[in-house]
Amino acid sequence: MTVMLAATAAALFGIGTYLLLQRKLSRIIIGLGLLTHGANILLITAGRRGDPPLIGEGRVEGFADPMPQALALTAIVITFGVTSLLLALAYRSWLLTNDDEVQDDLADRAVGDSDVVEEEVADQQQVIAREEAP
Amino acid sequence: MIFLLVAFAVFGLALISSGARLGRGAFLVGAVPAVAAAVWVAAQLGAVTSGDAATAHVTWVAPLGLSIDLRLDGFAATMSVIIALVGVAVFVYASRYFPRDAADLGRLAGLLTLFAGSMLGLVQADNVLFLYTCWELTSVTSFLLIGNRHTEPRARAAALHALLVTGAGGLALLAGFVVLGREAGTFSLSAILAAPPSGTAVTAAIALIIVGALTKSAQYPFHAWLPGAMAAPTPVSAYLHSATMVTAGVFLVGRLAPSFADVVVWRPMILTAGCCTLVFGGLRALRQHDLKLLLAFGTVSQLGLLMILFGVGTPASVTAGWELLVAHAAFKAALFMVVGIVDHQTGTRDLRKIPALGPSWNGVRAVALLAVVSMAGVPLGAGFIAKELAYDALADGSFAGSSLVLAVAVAGSMLTVAYAARFYWGGFVHPNRRAADDTAAEPPAAPSWVMLAPPALLAVAGVVLGVAPWLLDHLATASLAGFRAGAKPVHLALWHGFNLPLALSALTLAGGALVFAADRWLRPWLALGSRVPSGGDVYLAALRGLGRTSSRVTGVVQNGSLPVYAGVIILTAAALPAAALLSDWYWPGWPAFGAGREAPIVGVLLIAATGAALARQRFSAALFLGVAGYAMAGLFIFSGAPDLALTQVTVETLSTVVFVLVLRRLPERFERQSSPGRRAVRLAIAGAVALTVFGFSLITAGVRITPPVSEQMVERALPDGHGHNVVNVILVDFRGFDTLGEITVLAVASLGAVALARVGRRAGSERGEVQPAAIGPRRLPFVDVSVRIVFPAVVLMSLWLLFAGHNRPGGGFVGGLLAGSAITLRYIAGGISEVRGRSRFRPWTVLGAGLLLAVGTAVAPLLAGGPVLDASLASFELPIIGAVKVGSTLVFDAGVYLVVLGMVLMAFEAFGDPPAEAAS
Amino acid sequence: MSWLVPIPIVLPLLGAALSILVGRSRPAQRVVGIGVLAVLVVVSIVLLVQVDSHGTIVSDAGGWPGPLGITLVADRFAALLLLVAEVTLLVVLVYAIGEPGAERNHVGFQSAYLVLAAGVAASFLTGDLFNLFVSFEMMLTASYVLLTLGGRAEQVRSGMTYIVISLLASTLFVMALALLYSATGTVNMADLALRMGELPPGVRTAFAVLLLVVFGIKAAIFPLFFWLPDSYPTAPSPITAIFAGLLTKVGVYAIIRTQLLLFPPDSRPATLLLVLAAATMVIGVLGAIAQDDIRRILSFTIISQIGYMVMGLAFFTVAGIAAVVFSIVHHIVVKTSLFLVGGLVEHASGSNRLSRIGGMVRTAPLLAAMFLACALGLAGIPPFSGFISKLGLIEAGIADRQYAVIAVALAVSLLTLFSMMRIWMGAFWSPREDDAPPAPEPTAARSPILMLVPTAVLVACSLGIAVAAGPIYSLSERTAHDLVDRDAYVEAVLGR
Repeated sequence: MTVMLAATAAALFGIGTYLLLQRKLSRIIIGLGLLTHGANILLITAGRRGDPPLIGEGRVEGFADPMPQALALTAIVITFGVTSLLLALAYRSWLLTNDDEVQDDLADRAVGDSDVVEEEVADQQQVIAREEAP
Repeated sequence: MIFLLVAFAVFGLALISSGARLGRGAFLVGAVPAVAAAVWVAAQLGAVTSGDAATAHVTWVAPLGLSIDLRLDGFAATMSVIIALVGVAVFVYASRYFPRDAADLGRLAGLLTLFAGSMLGLVQADNVLFLYTCWELTSVTSFLLIGNRHTEPRARAAALHALLVTGAGGLALLAGFVVLGREAGTFSLSAILAAPPSGTAVTAAIALIIVGALTKSAQYPFHAWLPGAMAAPTPVSAYLHSATMVTAGVFLVGRLAPSFADVVVWRPMILTAGCCTLVFGGLRALRQHDLKLLLAFGTVSQLGLLMILFGVGTPASVTAGWELLVAHAAFKAALFMVVGIVDHQTGTRDLRKIPALGPSWNGVRAVALLAVVSMAGVPLGAGFIAKELAYDALADGSFAGSSLVLAVAVAGSMLTVAYAARFYWGGFVHPNRRAADDTAAEPPAAPSWVMLAPPALLAVAGVVLGVAPWLLDHLATASLAGFRAGAKPVHLALWHGFNLPLALSALTLAGGALVFAADRWLRPWLALGSRVPSGGDVYLAALRGLGRTSSRVTGVVQNGSLPVYAGVIILTAAALPAAALLSDWYWPGWPAFGAGREAPIVGVLLIAATGAALARQRFSAALFLGVAGYAMAGLFIFSGAPDLALTQVTVETLSTVVFVLVLRRLPERFERQSSPGRRAVRLAIAGAVALTVFGFSLITAGVRITPPVSEQMVERALPDGHGHNVVNVILVDFRGFDTLGEITVLAVASLGAVALARVGRRAGSERGEVQPAAIGPRRLPFVDVSVRIVFPAVVLMSLWLLFAGHNRPGGGFVGGLLAGSAITLRYIAGGISEVRGRSRFRPWTVLGAGLLLAVGTAVAPLLAGGPVLDASLASFELPIIGAVKVGSTLVFDAGVYLVVLGMVLMAFEAFGDPPAEAAS
Repeated sequence: MSWLVPIPIVLPLLGAALSILVGRSRPAQRVVGIGVLAVLVVVSIVLLVQVDSHGTIVSDAGGWPGPLGITLVADRFAALLLLVAEVTLLVVLVYAIGEPGAERNHVGFQSAYLVLAAGVAASFLTGDLFNLFVSFEMMLTASYVLLTLGGRAEQVRSGMTYIVISLLASTLFVMALALLYSATGTVNMADLALRMGELPPGVRTAFAVLLLVVFGIKAAIFPLFFWLPDSYPTAPSPITAIFAGLLTKVGVYAIIRTQLLLFPPDSRPATLLLVLAAATMVIGVLGAIAQDDIRRILSFTIISQIGYMVMGLAFFTVAGIAAVVFSIVHHIVVKTSLFLVGGLVEHASGSNRLSRIGGMVRTAPLLAAMFLACALGLAGIPPFSGFISKLGLIEAGIADRQYAVIAVALAVSLLTLFSMMRIWMGAFWSPREDDAPPAPEPTAARSPILMLVPTAVLVACSLGIAVAAGPIYSLSERTAHDLVDRDAYVEAVLGR
């Protein structure tokens, strides 16, 4: 790990976050992509960096730590798979709305100014009213 | 005795599930276990009164101290007798009360039976946790019974009110029990009472338990649910809400009184609640016109007196309470049934509307009179005995403020006399007076004797106990066994000579009569009394408040906007670790800055990232992302990760292609820029995240002590892993299980992508059939030709990577992706049709086969008895490639290759078609 | 018996591959799916019995001993949850086949469902933190597919929320793994447990909370749960049921596993957990009360229930953890059955909005009975299983003198009862509204046998849990003892 790479990873996380907090799915996807890059930099810098770990070529002592490479490779591939699924979703969203904007959940919006317990309250008022003798 | 409870449960459930066809007979069936209980308890009485209690024990959840312990001592026996006898009476009564064709009688009878069972369990429980279990069961059955007429909003609301109030009390009770049990070191009720613990915790526990008891017994300020509960059918009210369930709280207080009456919170809480309840209940009862509601408030008031007597907790007062408990059960149940009869025959319970009841009603009238006499505490009624005892017990000044309590008791009893008179007068005397002037209405028919018999028996029982109270001496004595010291054998008598209690009784009767007579003048004053804020209003306010709060809070927290969610989450993810690091700071020192050969690449990377963030056009943003990806690949090269670089390049190429395939459908530009305020928030969050990552990564880089596990991997890669390329050995061997999961993810993701992209396009498309060739973009001959030349080369190259991968950079994944890029070239040249022409198999087959191959190599060793994914080896010569050690790892890698290839093909299946077709 | 351990992972994968290949034949797919899961139920029973009697079973994938390779570890905790999960998966699959909808219309369903099963099993069994990430991804990717099958507009919207948040969580997970490897040089959990002691306390705690956040997103604890009520309700009812019952619990499992195994007692964020637990309980139940849609009510109650589990963990006592283990078992079964019943209600009444349906206590008494049993169970009313778990948590909390949070928990359980009774009164008691959608034809409204039977079976299971609570709770206690004994786990995996 070097200061520069740490800073790079941090910067990628920052920019990725900035993009992530938007409404257009394509921007969000790009943001996630940058976040992944940042995470991968953290991965490869998590072990020693050096010569390609190919036995027979170069000194073993000089090898880069192969483990983080393997982990990073797996992570990259998985992210790729999921991202393409997400793209398919954007595509679908375009088929339906001609846009890839992530709409708000309207049901949630509605809750704020509704009061579903009203009914119980009203019924309860009847009960009380009845006990108050005329 | 367990079997008894089981019988109740079985009968109850059977009736609920299939009692409908029995009609009214269901109630007679439901009476069976009650009769059995009565007989059994009667058989036990001899033993019980001689002091040895019947017990039973079944373990339920030993680790939690929850077991089904039953213990039938004097007090429990008393309650059991009441529950059983009143139960039988109610069941018989109900079998005539309901119209023949009424719906859901089976359910009603079943619930009543279940209730009776749980009530028996409650009074016989010797494990506080099991007691709580039965306690809640009675609440639930009561809820379902109150809501019997569930189409009426009032019934539903009343049921909910009862459930929530008693439920809240129940939770307090549970907490109290757990604390008490913990302090006592046992959950056995008798053990706790035998050796009562003490201390602050115990005091708190007792307070909680008292709260539970007060809610259950409808004490002020929780009483409001009981009158509402009158929405239940009258037989139910007669059983649950007068004789049995509502006395559970009183019963519990009576149980604990001998051991805990001197706990500091005990008398203040109970006596205050009891006194208020006694008085307010009486005042409310005096204002009711509905006979049933009048009785309901009367019950509230009587429960108050009971609470006082058991709460005082001296042997004398408990004896009085015990006597009143018995008497009250008898007369109140009887009166409810009488009201039920009136309602049933005349169709009204309003004492202003009840028509004249002819001479044929004398039977009913007599029953009512007997019960009222007992209720009002007129001599020869059991109530009289109880009241004498009560006055006597309260007058002995055995506790602080006893005289005040005595005064309240007298006043309350006056009200009792008054509303008793109001009941009988309004229900049975006045109507006939009124009838004098309208002779038109012919008197309603008298009820059948089956309906009259139960209340009659109860009322008569009340009088018998009033005339010959000594009949209960033994049972009473046994019931006071709780008092280890100073409990002398009880002798109940009608006549105690001229003394204070007698004088007070006389005063009570006179005063009560006066109040009733002066009703018209007193009414405004009484009205004042009933104006005190009732728990009902509080409950209503709480309900309303709950509704509002929940909506507001949820509206704020769950605002449905993805950016907000993501922001909160990532901010939390940054802030919490940062806080942890700062709170206990450790700094290993700065590592090398590390500029140099990487600097330019890092520069490109960051510029591309920034560009992607600032780009106004989707397309250019995507391209910037691609550039960043290639820069990453460069960074990997410098880090000694050629495999990673290869993968990154191919992945980046593919995802850019896919991205573009999708983007060509989407609007070109990002419109609707967000407000600067929002952007500032975003920047702030982004900054926080970046800072945390920076600090955290530098710290972790400096703290490692132990060498990484990978050193062993490097050592063993060649000798045991048979590969020179350590990374590939890790991927397909050391950590092959990861790769297995990884390709599974790819496979499923592509399934989903295709399903999403093709859904609702053409029937059958979900079945993944190859679509008829679509018209591709305009073909450019030279591109076409060059592609046709390059294509086989690339495919060969990909195969070579697959085979060589184990020793040199490459491997199944990269190979597959390269093959995929070959397909991509074909697509660029000739569109989707070209791709489909290329792939002889359906993409699904390629995908499935690849997965099958990979998983197969993972499973095969298991069949051979080895561990999963165990590698095996075979070596042979191949033409072009040379010596190849074909390990199972290679087969595994081939599976990977196929999955990736299949995925690429499916990507084109999904997005390859021209938009015009897709939109349809 | 170590050869048994990987079966729950590889067998469903095999099945998934097969059902991709036989994609054209729906019956074949069904045979594969049900067959695999039925076998797995048996396997997990055997595994649980073996583990409980002979102790933890370790299986090294590829024959490489940990920390070199990936170790699969079947201890009591994993085996117990595995069994519950497989049973639930099987029952729900039958239900899904019975229901017109997701399974019938999509060739991908069966394969995705099996991959989901594999992912869940792998998450329980793996002893390797990075492999846990991979297992999560299997499970999640499958869940994305299942969630968006059909691609209706609201599914796409909720799918976006769900996938984006999960991807974010996964990226954070990778970041955590990178930092962990950088600090310790291993990703094997047992090895991590050993090396964690070498780190400075502040760094340890930082890792603890970072992992808490990562898994907290999956487990839906406050303030990370927002995605759940927006995404779950839109899926077909069997999918929602399995997500609600299982997926969040996998997150809880991961939290418990990592917090207890990786971190020494001095670096556990107990107070933070208590606060989060209280907030999760309260916010969750308030959300449930504010909803009108049955599925959304149920989704919010998931969250408040998760709060209970986090609370039990936060005590960090054997008693508390035992209670949590029991609660997880209870909650998977009860919550899933509630959603299945909800699906039947929707099927029979044509809507799942309380304000529009009603009167079902008459029209569908069996559903009413099943719902009531589960609802009371969820609210912790005796004698149902929920009461046992509530009682366990209360006793543990009072033993730990955590009166405040216990008070909150009790209050919340009352509100839970209220929210459940609102469903009861709205759907079963109150008469059908006039503006309600025309009820389906009696023939159509009658619940298909293939939906009804699985639901009944699962409800029976939840009652069974209450009846057999004694043994199950003792097992939970033994599990809790395993979980607090880090050395035993390390010894079993690394042999040192």
